[in-house]
Amino acid sequence: MALKKSENWMYRHSYNVRICHWINVICFTYLLLSGIMMFLQFPELYWGNVGYRGYEAIFKLSNWGLTWEEADALGNRQWGRNYHFLFAWIFLFNNLIYVGWNLRNRHFSKRMWPQRGELHKDNLKEELNQHLHLRAAKGDAATKYNVFQKFSYLIVIFVLFPFMVISGVAQMPAFTAISPELIDLFGGRQSARTLHTISTLLLVLFVVVHVFEVFVAGAVNHIWAMITGKYYLPTKEKT
Amino acid sequence: MNKKTGTLSRRKFIAGAGAMSGILLTGCDTDIYTPPEIRSGLMGVSDVLTMASQRLLMSGQGLVKEFETSEITKDFPAWGRTNPEDDNYQQMASTGFTDWSLSVGGLVNRPTSFSLQDLKRLPPRTQTTMHICEQGWSAIAQWTGVSLTTLLEAAGSVKQEARYVVIDTYDGWYDAYDMFDVVHPQTILAYGMNGKDLPQGNGAPVRLRVERHCGYRNLKFLKSVQVVASVKDIGLGKGGLLSDYNWHWYAGA
Repeated sequence: MALKKSENWMYRHSYNVRICHWINVICFTYLLLSGIMMFLQFPELYWGNVGYRGYEAIFKLSNWGLTWEEADALGNRQWGRNYHFLFAWIFLFNNLIYVGWNLRNRHFSKRMWPQRGELHKDNLKEELNQHLHLRAAKGDAATKYNVFQKFSYLIVIFVLFPFMVISGVAQMPAFTAISPELIDLFGGRQSARTLHTISTLLLVLFVVVHVFEVFVAGAVNHIWAMITGKYYLPTKEKT
Repeated sequence: MNKKTGTLSRRKFIAGAGAMSGILLTGCDTDIYTPPEIRSGLMGVSDVLTMASQRLLMSGQGLVKEFETSEITKDFPAWGRTNPEDDNYQQMASTGFTDWSLSVGGLVNRPTSFSLQDLKRLPPRTQTTMHICEQGWSAIAQWTGVSLTTLLEAAGSVKQEARYVVIDTYDGWYDAYDMFDVVHPQTILAYGMNGKDLPQGNGAPVRLRVERHCGYRNLKFLKSVQVVASVKDIGLGKGGLLSDYNWHWYAGA
């Protein structure tokens, strides 16, 4: 890790990571908003291939205080459809570039794949303890991702992102011709829609925790680092 | 309509082979990848990416999944418009659509009007498929009707410059379909649903089934079929009622 100028400044994020990160922020915001705008105009979830208003639902927004008509009035699926597809394409390309780039420069294997010692029971316990007491990493520990960070990033990038794309694609009418097996894989077209929604909630949960952790670890420092790449390394009080 | 007249395109080359070759070979044409009018800006880029990638994946014209009759949805929704206010329609509905007829015109060699009986005399096709509404719902039904290709053949086949089939309905809708969808074997004009006459709520007497598209393009209450070279003079010129109002024309998704 090249330290620049002062000992306490380090170069934390490559420009590729920074650009892709902020493009993803924009994509996620639009995808979430446009998804909500579409969902509001059909605010129920079902399982299997069949689902319609009046059919047995596994989730009804009307049970949570918003009637079908109220939800419908808030939604706008024309806007939703247009922007959902636009940002889905940007999201897809952005993440393909991100993954390709960082596999090539071995960012994943060097900085994101958990190292041997990190998976040891004692270390997991120690790191979990740090998290629960909202103690931000300092000194050497602050120069790298901690093990829970690594896990959550890897799950988001390699599990949830692909899942969002595939479960989104499985809802498209054209895919009943292109690959009916894909729809069957999800247990049906409505199941794909339901799982797409659940996966969205998991991503929202990730973003909430992620932003919260940024604040715990020092919002200004971390956001500045994600913009400029430069990170002020907090020193340890004691050694 | 040959876009690239400078070179002898594959389509132009084989066009003389037979009366239907014009539409059967449109699958080789490059403009199956783009909507009749590409929206401006990034939205247009996104539209073309979506349409082109899906059309590429569908280039074999494979069929959509057909379900077992046991999987048919009992209470298939009658969504959207269920009873056109049109006076002519109401009149025809009151007499069981015996006066109803479908005019097939435009760029066909023998413009013809087909009564319901005429349609039923053409070779039928029955398919049990999943209807996927753009709004979010889906349900399974069995549809019986005549394939659009068969109908166009019965009207003397399309002329060489034919590019789109425009359908008008009694509830005021219109939409244009390119030849890629027209020649698909599961694109039918359905007069039967689940073994009975098509109910009014589902588009009586005849509705369109374009199985690879969202529900709203499966027009109900059909009035006329028109073969055209361009959609410029249809509605606001963007190839359909919803695309005229800033929806993506291609609705594979």
